Amino acid sequence: MELENLWQTVLAQIQLNISPANFATWFANTKILSFENDIVVVSVPNSFSKEWLEQKYSKDILKILHTIDENIKNVSFSVDPGKTKKIVSGKKTIGKDDVLTEQLGFKELETNKDTNLNPRYTFESFIVGPFNEMCYAAATAVVEEPGKNYNPLFIYGGVGLGKTHLIQAIGNKIKEDSPEKRIKYLPAEKMISVIVNSIKNHNIEELKKSLRELDVLIVDDIQFIAGKDKTQEEFFHTFNSLYQKNKQIILSSDRHPNTIPAITERLKSRFKGGMITDMSSPDYETRIAILRKKSEEKGADLSKDVLDYVANNIQRNIRELESALNRLIIFKKTNNKNPSLEEAKKLLKNLIISPSKITNYKKIIQAVTEFYDIPNGNMFFTSRKKEFSKPRQIAMYLLKKELKMSFSEIGRKFGGKDHTTVIHSCQLIEKLEEEEEKTHQEIELILQRIYSN
Amino acid sequence: MNFTILSKEFKKGINIVEKITGKNLTLPILDNVLIEVLSNFIKISATDLELGIQWWGMCKTEKEGKIAVPAKLLNQIAGVLTDEKVNIKEKGNTLTIEGKNYKTQVKGFSADDFPIIPGFSKDNFIEINSKKIKEGLINVVDVVSLSQIKPEISGVYFSFQKDIVKLVATDSFRLSEKTISFPNKQGYKNMFNEEVNFILPQRSAKELINIINEEDKSLRIYLSESQVLFETFLSTVDHPEINLISRQIEGEYPSYQEIIPKEGKTKITVNKDEFLKQVKAAGIFGGRTNEIILKISKNLEIFSQDADIGEANISLPAKIEGSELKVSFNWKFLIDGLVNIKSSEITFEFQGDDGPSIIRPVGDSSYLYVVMPIKI
Repeated sequence: MELENLWQTVLAQIQLNISPANFATWFANTKILSFENDIVVVSVPNSFSKEWLEQKYSKDILKILHTIDENIKNVSFSVDPGKTKKIVSGKKTIGKDDVLTEQLGFKELETNKDTNLNPRYTFESFIVGPFNEMCYAAATAVVEEPGKNYNPLFIYGGVGLGKTHLIQAIGNKIKEDSPEKRIKYLPAEKMISVIVNSIKNHNIEELKKSLRELDVLIVDDIQFIAGKDKTQEEFFHTFNSLYQKNKQIILSSDRHPNTIPAITERLKSRFKGGMITDMSSPDYETRIAILRKKSEEKGADLSKDVLDYVANNIQRNIRELESALNRLIIFKKTNNKNPSLEEAKKLLKNLIISPSKITNYKKIIQAVTEFYDIPNGNMFFTSRKKEFSKPRQIAMYLLKKELKMSFSEIGRKFGGKDHTTVIHSCQLIEKLEEEEEKTHQEIELILQRIYSN
Repeated sequence: MNFTILSKEFKKGINIVEKITGKNLTLPILDNVLIEVLSNFIKISATDLELGIQWWGMCKTEKEGKIAVPAKLLNQIAGVLTDEKVNIKEKGNTLTIEGKNYKTQVKGFSADDFPIIPGFSKDNFIEINSKKIKEGLINVVDVVSLSQIKPEISGVYFSFQKDIVKLVATDSFRLSEKTISFPNKQGYKNMFNEEVNFILPQRSAKELINIINEEDKSLRIYLSESQVLFETFLSTVDHPEINLISRQIEGEYPSYQEIIPKEGKTKITVNKDEFLKQVKAAGIFGGRTNEIILKISKNLEIFSQDADIGEANISLPAKIEGSELKVSFNWKFLIDGLVNIKSSEITFEFQGDDGPSIIRPVGDSSYLYVVMPIKI
């Protein structure tokens, strides 16, 4: 007789002799765990049940079992709390959406312990538009056959555009389709600290082993390994080992591998070996679509003017777009009415014209030098070497375009260059931006840096 | 059953165990306490099947015996006892309590129906100063998560390490950690010879705080697979006074150390009482969202605004290091951390306006409180 049937027979007979309340309390979630030799092991949900059944019912249970199967000579009980997990139904849970503000939480607690993925990121909640459809297509291809189609998949683009969302969605989807796959999501900063720590604690071998046994490795913000030689070396070997075994590698970065400074050539060429795809900023229509979808999800019907205003004023960053929307929804919840255009302007003042949105000379220079990884010093302003001259020209161009500085003023900032030199530089970059995709991208990314945080 | 006991003792016992009984519809026996009389001792127990409390007191026993009696009723009776000592008898499931000019009879139930509180192997245990555990728990117990989505964080995490004990709680918006250190293991003994970790449900932790009194005594902790037992002792004789038996929360506590930021981009040092007062003052205008804004540049400013009632602008002296910052918090969350600090000054370190911020008492590394901002 099957264990399940066996236990059902016992329960059927026991319940005749005890009160329904007692039966429900002590026999709920019990079952026969095993029947070996002549011992039946009954699993119970907690220690209270165990004590109770052992002391009050073990004789009765054994008697019933024995009449069914003469071989059963003994019965024992074991606590299996795994079965006690209550399904909380009906009770309203405190989700972020119920709270009036955007109270931030610890990201570490949302993630799955094994994969480090946040289950919130799914393909279903990812909005596809012309600006990211390439990435999306590549991602779905990877999900279909991990390790076969595009390996590595390298996604780059500015902050707040959904790179992290997409690469985590890939991980979540693969895990859903084939739960046995070992997947790991690592932000590069975490990967660096894990590697540094394991070198310090002399267990780098274990770490290597655990990384190389993965089926899918996802590294976010890979550009942070720039200048981290030891991490680059470890990552290089891990990369090769996974790649040779046709295991999927997914990387994200805020820029094209070519423009990541201070990483070794061999890594660069590995990064370029699969599929490289970029996420650009969403166009106006997509921004409106995103706002509509998100506000529908949250049950708000904001007026067209307000959505227009948001879409027109926040252009580069989807995260900020959502943040603006949340502000408006909070207003609606607290005041029980939709914000008018005037109210929306007031509410979003901080977001749209916050100090970070007003830039200055220092910020632009800093963004350019950081982007091209140019050391501090006067070289940037004066050197004639090519590695400095193009960044310098871009800096001049941005000073002109973003700050409306005069040509001669810019010239003075760059070691007293003539205003005609500045005019030439600006024209050159303007032309390159139109004609050359690479330059266009670089400028976009620098602009994002200038205007983010 | 027949015994004589000091009314004060009897009241104390009922009081300690009665709290965990309640209206239990499926198993009405749980609304009762179990009174057992043994030689020289009375034992009173109550349980709700997640948590059990047993209390022992001295008594003069004429005849041993046991009975289950409705807890709330017994508590009311104990509350009005005026005699110095009372005689208590049981006959045919009826309990008779008799003083000089006083006599009541209470209908009880057979002790056989009362659940059996699980026993423990007492070979190995942790012995620890009870007052320190109590103080530590008070510091952390209120930030436990009330949500059932992540059961692991719905309790207090106990970590018994070599010569320190850590108590940790988080509700995913803030985290508090208390480190109790025992230099030279004075007041702390771990017989398991290894690190012992478990998660105690919040309610059990609160009960534990209640049952530990203010004296410096030792508390023993025993473990079984899924339960934990806390035991305190009578001060007069070498006998347990209270046993608190609780379920442990299943699962692994999150690796919370990763949440605690190593260094801040902005750091302020400020007088605690003053800061607490001003946070409360700004909180008046925090509105329904409880939001207050800290502006840190040359000095520290606190700002809050409620569209309907008005606004507050407060500035207070602070030592400021690092970059300028404007960051927003739920003021109640700040208070929850600040009230646990005894030192006169605190540091508050920030990771920008959207990263974990950390409050620490100056000159006391035993406590820290990590709190997440509200997105600006």
